[in-house]
Amino acid sequence: MEVLSPYKEATEVIIEAGGEPLRLCYQCGICTGTCPWNLVRGFIVRRIIHEAQLGATDFGNEEVWLCATCRACVQRCPRGVEIIDVMRAMRRAVVSLGIGIVPDALRISAKNIAGAGNPLGEAPEKRGDWAKDLGLKKFSPGTEILYFPCCVPAYDPDVKVVSRATATILSELGVDFGILGSEERCCGEAIRKAGYEDTFHSLAQSNINAFSSNDVKTVVVSSPHCYHTFKNEYPELGGEFQVIHITQYLAQLIDQGRLKFSKEINKRVIYSDPCYLGRHNGIYDEPRRVLQSISGLELIEFPDPREDSLCCGGGGGRIWMETVKGERFSDIRVEQALEKGADIIAVACPYCFLNYRDSVLTMDKAEVIEVKDVSELVAEAM
Amino acid sequence: MAEFEPQIIAFTCNWCTYAAADLAGTSRIHYPANVRIVRVMCSGMVNPMYVFKAFESGADGVIVAGCNYTDCHYIDGPVKCDAMFARLKKMVHVLGLEEERLRREMISTSEGVIFARVVEEMVEQLKKLGPSPFKIKMETLA
Amino acid sequence: MEEVKIGVYVCHCGLNIAGTVDVEEVAKYAATLPSVVVSRDYRYMCSDPGQDLIKNDIKEYVLNRVVVASCSPRMHEPTFRNACQEGGLNPYLYEHANIREHCSWVHDDKKINTEKTKDLVRAAVKRVYHHEPLEVKEAPVNPNVLVVGGGIAGIQAALDIANGEKRVYLVEREPSIGGHMIQLDRTFPTLDCSECILTPKMADVGHHPFIELLAYSEVEEVSGSIGQFKVKVRKKARHIDESKCVGCGICEEKCPWKVPSAFEMGLAMRKAIYIPFAQAIPNLVTVDPDLCVYIQSNGKKCGACIKFCEAKAITPETLLNQTDQIIELEVGSIIVATGYDQFDPSVIPQYGYGKYDNVLTGLQFERMTCAAGPTGGKVLLKDGREPESVAIIHCVGSRDQNYHEYCSRVCCMYGLKYAHLIKEFTKADVYEFYIDMRCFGEGYEEFYKRLSEEGANFIRGKVAKVTDQAVTEEEKGKLIVVAEDTLLGRLIRVPADMVILCAALEARADADKVASLFTLNRRADGFFLERHVKLDPVATPTDGVFIAGCCEGPRDIPDTVAQASAAAAKALSLISKGKITLESAIASVDETRCIGCGRCEEICTFHAPKVISKNGVMVSEVNETLCKGCGACAVVCSTGAMLIRHYKPEQILSQVAALTEVL
Ligand SMILES: Cc1cc2nc3c(=O)[nH]c(=O)nc-3n(C[C@H](O)[C@H](O)[C@H](O)COP(=O)(O)OP(=O)(O)OC[C@H]3O[C@@H](n4cnc5c(N)ncnc54)[C@H](O)[C@@H]3O)c2cc1C
Ligand code: SF4
Ligand code: SF4
Ligand code: SF4
Ligand code: SF4
Repeated sequence: MEVLSPYKEATEVIIEAGGEPLRLCYQCGICTGTCPWNLVRGFIVRRIIHEAQLGATDFGNEEVWLCATCRACVQRCPRGVEIIDVMRAMRRAVVSLGIGIVPDALRISAKNIAGAGNPLGEAPEKRGDWAKDLGLKKFSPGTEILYFPCCVPAYDPDVKVVSRATATILSELGVDFGILGSEERCCGEAIRKAGYEDTFHSLAQSNINAFSSNDVKTVVVSSPHCYHTFKNEYPELGGEFQVIHITQYLAQLIDQGRLKFSKEINKRVIYSDPCYLGRHNGIYDEPRRVLQSISGLELIEFPDPREDSLCCGGGGGRIWMETVKGERFSDIRVEQALEKGADIIAVACPYCFLNYRDSVLTMDKAEVIEVKDVSELVAEAM
Repeated sequence: MAEFEPQIIAFTCNWCTYAAADLAGTSRIHYPANVRIVRVMCSGMVNPMYVFKAFESGADGVIVAGCNYTDCHYIDGPVKCDAMFARLKKMVHVLGLEEERLRREMISTSEGVIFARVVEEMVEQLKKLGPSPFKIKMETLA
Repeated sequence: MEEVKIGVYVCHCGLNIAGTVDVEEVAKYAATLPSVVVSRDYRYMCSDPGQDLIKNDIKEYVLNRVVVASCSPRMHEPTFRNACQEGGLNPYLYEHANIREHCSWVHDDKKINTEKTKDLVRAAVKRVYHHEPLEVKEAPVNPNVLVVGGGIAGIQAALDIANGEKRVYLVEREPSIGGHMIQLDRTFPTLDCSECILTPKMADVGHHPFIELLAYSEVEEVSGSIGQFKVKVRKKARHIDESKCVGCGICEEKCPWKVPSAFEMGLAMRKAIYIPFAQAIPNLVTVDPDLCVYIQSNGKKCGACIKFCEAKAITPETLLNQTDQIIELEVGSIIVATGYDQFDPSVIPQYGYGKYDNVLTGLQFERMTCAAGPTGGKVLLKDGREPESVAIIHCVGSRDQNYHEYCSRVCCMYGLKYAHLIKEFTKADVYEFYIDMRCFGEGYEEFYKRLSEEGANFIRGKVAKVTDQAVTEEEKGKLIVVAEDTLLGRLIRVPADMVILCAALEARADADKVASLFTLNRRADGFFLERHVKLDPVATPTDGVFIAGCCEGPRDIPDTVAQASAAAAKALSLISKGKITLESAIASVDETRCIGCGRCEEICTFHAPKVISKNGVMVSEVNETLCKGCGACAVVCSTGAMLIRHYKPEQILSQVAALTEVL
């Protein structure tokens, strides 16, 4: 029998990389039972924490890269263990100390982000191209709002509908806003969770500089991931500005009576809470309020809405990594939506958008169900 | 010249911090001899006047220490002490004393080690600051 | 003033002090201080010959002040104060210098230590110069005791005191005493029937000549302090004539109006006029005025009970016009035994309590297995079937920082008890989901072993969720309990018909109100704070107020009873002494300086100072039985009128000045 001898140095590596809270874990296993991975394969979260406590972590194991940072487990942990921090710390250790293997797909995205400022490896100059024909103004000091679209809606040909819909709504309502185009970079939220701490810092610094040199006070974002890092991580690095998620902003506009709808959408719409909007930041009601104010639209709920919402699988850098068929959370989600008789899955996150769209296509369900961002639905109904 | 040895007066409550200093003693935890303890019943009993008297008589630093919020023998003495201490800090500024010469601590009965550490830290701190510049007479205050 | 003559005694404490302090030199130095007429060093001051030195010197040198420099005053100040008193000196004319714990044991340089010791001795000498004799006052103790809460804790305490032939007022807010224990079916680990062991005690309370039972009553106001509390109790109207009601229950039978019964944990209904359970003490019916249609319609409708009561205990008069009564009591001490609430698991969404029919709490299950309970002692599902599989989930709301961080102490054990009962009543499989098994009491581990023998399944893992979303044929129509079996490192799904949640015990919802009523403190977990966790577990920071049972934190019946008897003993010892010694070092007002501003009144936590009018002048007066001598008032008094005896400014200032002046 192989005998385990606890290896303190490994624990220290993880703790140093930010996994401090792992000592509190008392091995109850509710994290395992809560983690969505266990719907599709075994992923014993508790054991990973225990291995880290004892210094028995296998840095070469693919499990290091599984966590989608959905926060389902953290929300339930009775000891307040920041499980995501532990997962991130293991990845940091691999990335910075080279003691394990970084998955190829992630390595490429990380290189693109570090080099080009976006995961797709597109030219930085082209970052504003999505808006070329929309006649938007460039943000300059004095403009009220900066719209920050996120890399995916900025570059991905299929997701540009999100940024374009948003810009159209704002323009039509006469909101004083601008974009920064080539001056902005990836927000860095996901690459940080994937373990690339240095990359995150340089991205954040670059964005903070761009924002402050343009005197940005308020940012409206399409991605909950940008929202999360701007709101919770940038301030420590000196980035002080107000962040509003587009669904919050739209709800505000409706409350103020500025945003009114003239068209009906006679569809059953099921709303999927993005982990980073819901569990990470407690925003559940605004997107629902926006959808409910569209006439004709019937809003329905997943069997596990809000706090219990199932992750799409795209957080924590998973969006860039390969997930084999049969293990995709978004497939389960699409099935649930179909069972509930939904015509449209409404999302409020570019990663959810990508994952659900892929699932609908690979499951061959494009005929029966659509994936749309809340902003698209709003633009259609105006 | 010999190294400057600061004089510290510590006002400690009878129930917690005084007992913590006793515990440091029974556990033979060594710390610098620069501190002299004045026992009061409660940290909330410490009058700013006492602290000034200490400075006036030549103390280089003063510690006011008592129970934690939850252990107070008189229920909420530490809260009252906090209020007094906040006033004290302002006054000390006006008189041209460095804030670092004053220290507010909550040290419970079992924390002999912490008591010793606080004294050590304070001695270090005061050695850096040098002797107290404050020698004005209480009369000028009155 | 007579001339001050001080005697100073420096103790060697063997080598404990003399090893690192030159005690002879200190004694010599002390002799040079003003007003010191004799100064000695001695091997063991606390020994009889050491104390005799003091006593003799008081006579020989006509000493009127004494200083001993030795160990901590927390150790021997009382010893030397006593020696002074025996030598004919007021004990407050004594001062203690701590040269062992605060000097010889903690610093190593003998020269420096000797200097520091001189400082400490000098400061003590300067301080004692200003000491004044203080009178040691006493106050009588009222021999009556108030017990609040008639659960097993309150019942036990009341009986212990009453059996000592002292009067007890037992105030219980429900219509009957019994508390949670009377709701339980059988009690771990012996499985004796709760009713069988409790009802005799309840009956004793009911007719004990020394117990006045005030059921369906609540304390409204408490004033005074140890030895002489004044208490106002509101005795709520039962809307019946208590002197006539014989508890026959015919009215209850005839009353047509129902609500879910709190006693039966909502598993059965009770009427608008009711006796909560068969063995209620007092055996009286109570009318629920919110539900009674006669009262609600102001006498226009119903009135069935009036018609059927042969004893004529219910009349239009009692129903419509009976009001609450205020009863005033005087007692010397108070025992608070208000117990706990069961945590409401519906706030944990993933366990489906309130959503799925067959998810129950512990107390609901207790009622179910009780022969006199709503199912007649059968373990049944909502639809009347017997379960084939039952899951018991431990630590629901306990050991979880999202709810309560503490361990509720009884859940592991009652979870095991349920496994046994289920095995006894049904053929169902039982699954215990636990994090750690905590079976610490007498016979508890043995009980755990017994359940292992009986075939309960133990799964180590905190349940992630209870759901009705089946994924296999076998799961259809069942509740599925999902958890990691942490010992296997595998996710496990257990289909169950019934799920029992071992819900936490938590502080009463109104604990805040009760705490302020009796001047109790609450810990961070919400329960009442004891004076000392280990050494004074039933006393509280408020003298004369004791706590017992689950109001101090979750515990089982054996611990509750032990604590109740302890609280009773404390109350009895107070009564047996008959008087209390009042703290002497307390606040006093210099009326010539007081301007009646009331700041002292405002800051005092114990409500000791009150600004009153004396000969037309507003001045503060301190209630000496309430004052604890904390000194907060003196700090805020801007005129220097408020003084704390033995901690007067000149006493402390002279000490402070002396500590540093020479250097
Ligand atoms: C499901 C379950 C099963 C259990 N099984 C067992 C077991 O098998 N064996 C065991 O040893 N222990 C068991 N326990 C623990 C047991 O219930 C307690 O140890 C015991 O009941 C504590 O008694 P108590 O008098 O302190 O509190 P309680 O029983 O709560 O009694 C408090 C009394 O005070 C009254 N009261 C409250 N507030 C006021 C007020 N302001 N004024 C006047 N009166 C007031 C209440 O009405 C109540 O009558 C179990 C607990 C639970 C939850
Ligand atoms: S939920 Fe928290 S305490 Fe429980 S095993 Fe997971 S990390 Fe540890
Ligand atoms: S954050 Fe989500 S994906 Fe990661 S371990 Fe927790 S539950 Fe699983
Ligand atoms: S604070 Fe001082 S002056 Fe004011 S009422 Fe109290 S004793 Fe009198
Ligand atoms: S010394 Fe403390 S307890 Fe006494 S009157 Fe003053 S504030 Fe109240």
